[in-house]
Amino acid sequence: MARLGELIGSIELDAGALPAALPYITLVSRYLLPALALIIVVRCAVSMLSGRPQSEIWGYITNPNGGRTNLTNWENVVGRAASSDVVLDYKTVSRTHAALTRDAEGRWSVMDLGSKGGTTLRGRPVHGPTPIHSGDILTFGGVAAVFVASTASEEQERAETREMPGFRVRAGVTLLFLTLFCLLLTLQLCAAAGDELSIAVPATFLALIVIIWCCYVITRALNRRGFEVETLAFLLISVGFGVTAHSDPGVLPKELICLLAGLVIFFVVGSFLRDLGRAKKMRWPIAAMGLLLLAVNLVTASSIFGARNWLSIGSISFQPSEFVKIAFVFAGAATLDRLYARRNLVLFVGFAALCVLCLAAMSDFGTAAVFFAAYIVIAFMRSGSFATVLLSLAGTVFAAFIVVTARPYVMQRFATWGHAWDAPNDGGYQQVRAMASAASGGLFGLGAGRGWLHNIFAADTDMVFAVVTEEFGLIMALLTVAALIVLAVFAVRSSGYARSTFYAIAACAAVTILLFQVTLNVFGSLDILPFTGVTFPLVSKGGSSIMATWGLLAFVKAADARQNASFAIPLGRKRLPRRERKEAEEE
Amino acid sequence: MKKVRRRALAVILLAAMIVGLTGVFILRLVRDGDDWASFPSNGNAYSGGKLKTGKVVDRNGTVLLSITDGEVTYAEDRDIRRATLHAVGDKYGNIGTGAYRVFADELLGYSTLKGLYDFSGEGGTMELSIDAPACAVALDALDGRSGSVAVMNYVTGEIVCMVSSPTFDPADPPEISEDDTSGVYLNRVLSSTFTPGSTFKLVTLAAAIENIPDLFSRDFHCDGGFYVGEDWVSCAGEHGDLKIEDALGLSCNSVFGSLALELGAETLEKYAESFGLTSRQTVDGIGCAAGSFDRAEPDSTDLAWSGIGQYHDLVNPAAMLRLMAAIANGGRAPEMTLHRSSSKAGTERIMSSTTAQRLSEMMDYAVTINYGEENFPGLEIRAKSGTAEVGGGDTNAWFVGFLEDPANPYAFAVCIERGGWGSSSAGPVANEVLQALVD
Repeated sequence: MARLGELIGSIELDAGALPAALPYITLVSRYLLPALALIIVVRCAVSMLSGRPQSEIWGYITNPNGGRTNLTNWENVVGRAASSDVVLDYKTVSRTHAALTRDAEGRWSVMDLGSKGGTTLRGRPVHGPTPIHSGDILTFGGVAAVFVASTASEEQERAETREMPGFRVRAGVTLLFLTLFCLLLTLQLCAAAGDELSIAVPATFLALIVIIWCCYVITRALNRRGFEVETLAFLLISVGFGVTAHSDPGVLPKELICLLAGLVIFFVVGSFLRDLGRAKKMRWPIAAMGLLLLAVNLVTASSIFGARNWLSIGSISFQPSEFVKIAFVFAGAATLDRLYARRNLVLFVGFAALCVLCLAAMSDFGTAAVFFAAYIVIAFMRSGSFATVLLSLAGTVFAAFIVVTARPYVMQRFATWGHAWDAPNDGGYQQVRAMASAASGGLFGLGAGRGWLHNIFAADTDMVFAVVTEEFGLIMALLTVAALIVLAVFAVRSSGYARSTFYAIAACAAVTILLFQVTLNVFGSLDILPFTGVTFPLVSKGGSSIMATWGLLAFVKAADARQNASFAIPLGRKRLPRRERKEAEEE
Repeated sequence: MKKVRRRALAVILLAAMIVGLTGVFILRLVRDGDDWASFPSNGNAYSGGKLKTGKVVDRNGTVLLSITDGEVTYAEDRDIRRATLHAVGDKYGNIGTGAYRVFADELLGYSTLKGLYDFSGEGGTMELSIDAPACAVALDALDGRSGSVAVMNYVTGEIVCMVSSPTFDPADPPEISEDDTSGVYLNRVLSSTFTPGSTFKLVTLAAAIENIPDLFSRDFHCDGGFYVGEDWVSCAGEHGDLKIEDALGLSCNSVFGSLALELGAETLEKYAESFGLTSRQTVDGIGCAAGSFDRAEPDSTDLAWSGIGQYHDLVNPAAMLRLMAAIANGGRAPEMTLHRSSSKAGTERIMSSTTAQRLSEMMDYAVTINYGEENFPGLEIRAKSGTAEVGGGDTNAWFVGFLEDPANPYAFAVCIERGGWGSSSAGPVANEVLQALVD
């Protein structure tokens, strides 16, 4: 016992010596944090982007000359154009001739896309969607072709041989790095805060680590292996919490609750998207809800800091425009058969215009610009026409010009743009301080919780990139941007082998929103673009933004058709867990 | 599907834009990061408007200013504190060109890679090129008179002495009223301009050497002045018959006034401009005051006076120093710096080497026949004096030149406001500071 007492005594002595060690914690962990972040981003990027994407094969078409073309999506265009999925290079075949589509239950149908030569099924002309079966003979402009659907066993076999995520880079190991990142960050924050440490800081980070692992366990329990999107998002969340822990530790519990709510939204939206038919049907109701939300907001909103985009219910205030982003993506996405119907695009253009108008009326020009960017990408992906895009761009620039000249507050922002250093205590107040602090951080930062910029208004939201550069260094700040770029490239790549254009367009629209927010947030605060006060997804403080971003990430998950990757995609011909597979073989 | 796949590349464009804009940011950060970080509102660098850390030392390592935890201490010696005030700056940042303000990034130890991270908490050390004891000697030699003393090593471009008077002790600052007119916060070397008087004859002479072919064979005559139309341009002496060498050595207004009329205002302006006297010179990015040369009417007394450094002529001491260094350097003006350096400075040619050689020889001759070598014992000095009328019978005393001595490659420019005769008043100041440096 006496020895134990001695031991305890010596421990206390060590604890007393701890403050002397505090500066060294920052000194060393300053280098470790960006290194860990780099490892995490690179591991995710390799896992998401390396190797050739292995398409699913749902059936094939045999040509008259005996060749065969695999149907790698649920939606396939047959036509003469090289950009068709099934290319039939015959004069009588139109450039975009017909569509072959499959639904979740494996039912196929054919549909003519207004071809000149016409499409027939078993000798009968086809117009609207007409069910077809394996072995059916089709003609496209007189050119005969046989349709063969993959059998269940073929699909099963392919599922067994396709590479699964985690094959090259183990998600669990990446998460271990992320856990270490969080722990080190907590340690650094505690060391920086010293006696003024709020218990909320370590508690929040511990809770965050638990949440991260719970999500991973849930994913694995669903027999899914893709966790890179979530890992990158959690990395951004922990950097954001690291900033908030210094600037406003009191809101950490609220941020944590919003993160949980965001994850619920993530899983709900993702699960909802599994069923393409249901998602298609709900597009317009969801869009209408979004508009309604904006309208309510417009009427009842209280103005917080210039923009009237806040809605308060009791003590909770939130930004509806954040959630409308999800509705916007829903409304913008379209399946292949709708892609060629003008009426649909016109409806969407109207919807987009209403959204942007509402936001402009709320003086939330940053968000309006984000919606507009998403609109451009959606319009382009749906129509493929530069003319449409350029026309709407020109119209908007014109409208923006009128708005800018009419509103002195916006006008002033534009007047300061590019000249922040000429008005360091006036129009450029925030930007010059953001730049000064960013420069102060160097490559590795001053250490978490050791910056100064957080004293400036809206630093942890509108200027969060500068705060990250100041406290965590330029490398970390660039990695946060890189994480989102990796996500975007992944979405683009996924959209190539997504099952439906609906998922492809939705995923691209979702990442466009995220990327454009980053663009405006980062370069606005650094006086390279006009300063609009848009949040940096997941890093900026703000519950609404965190929740909505998780909702958008669900669209990226829904496009991820790698084998057993995403909970937002039904397994169908799933690859069974090893034990079950063994049992099946034995039988 | 394939079509949509291709169209999805639009998102990649957006990503590429972000990468491009990030590149813009990084370029700006590398270029301007030092200015950003040392911006006086940056709470990482300043507290309560004062720098948090830093140290300024002179070329011998003597500490001139040291800040720890926002506490400022200056040099121990009061004379050195007063003599280096304008080079170092005061903790309130009142002296806009002081190291405290303009080299704040170095005091903070800023670098692009580590930003302001400072584990030791000592900040950075900025090594000034000035020699503090020599500055003290110069201030002492000014003996309370307003003026400036500047000396530069014309090989390295280092400014080794930069003294401006009036000055004060930054450790014990006096009450200085808001509407003070003495310009005590002004570094006269960098931020003032003065009527150059006869030192400007070097410009007229250079123009004459290059534009009047028979200049050296000409016979000039001085009757104590000359008429332009009906107006008299006076000379300080009655020099009688003389050659151009004597005209410079004796600083004859009659000769240089008539040369000015002959050369014309455009030519004179061109030379003043190419010698850098009318443009803004820079020292480590600090902009100096620009001098001026107004073109006077042809065949007027104004034109004659403008060629002998009167009329509206104004020259900045640092620009004059640079011109002296260029003459010493065979026509190449070195890049001036306030940082200690042992490497050769980059140069800009502002006159031909033959012109520089001619001017140098004639300045040597001027010392021989006029200023007296015995007044500068042990110095291979070449110089030109100036006594510039500034109204009310007062004159600014100038003495400018350089040492033709590879071991002591110093150029100098001394200007004493209302200090009387150039050679007799400013000459001794130059001598004292040069003796201090050569020792």
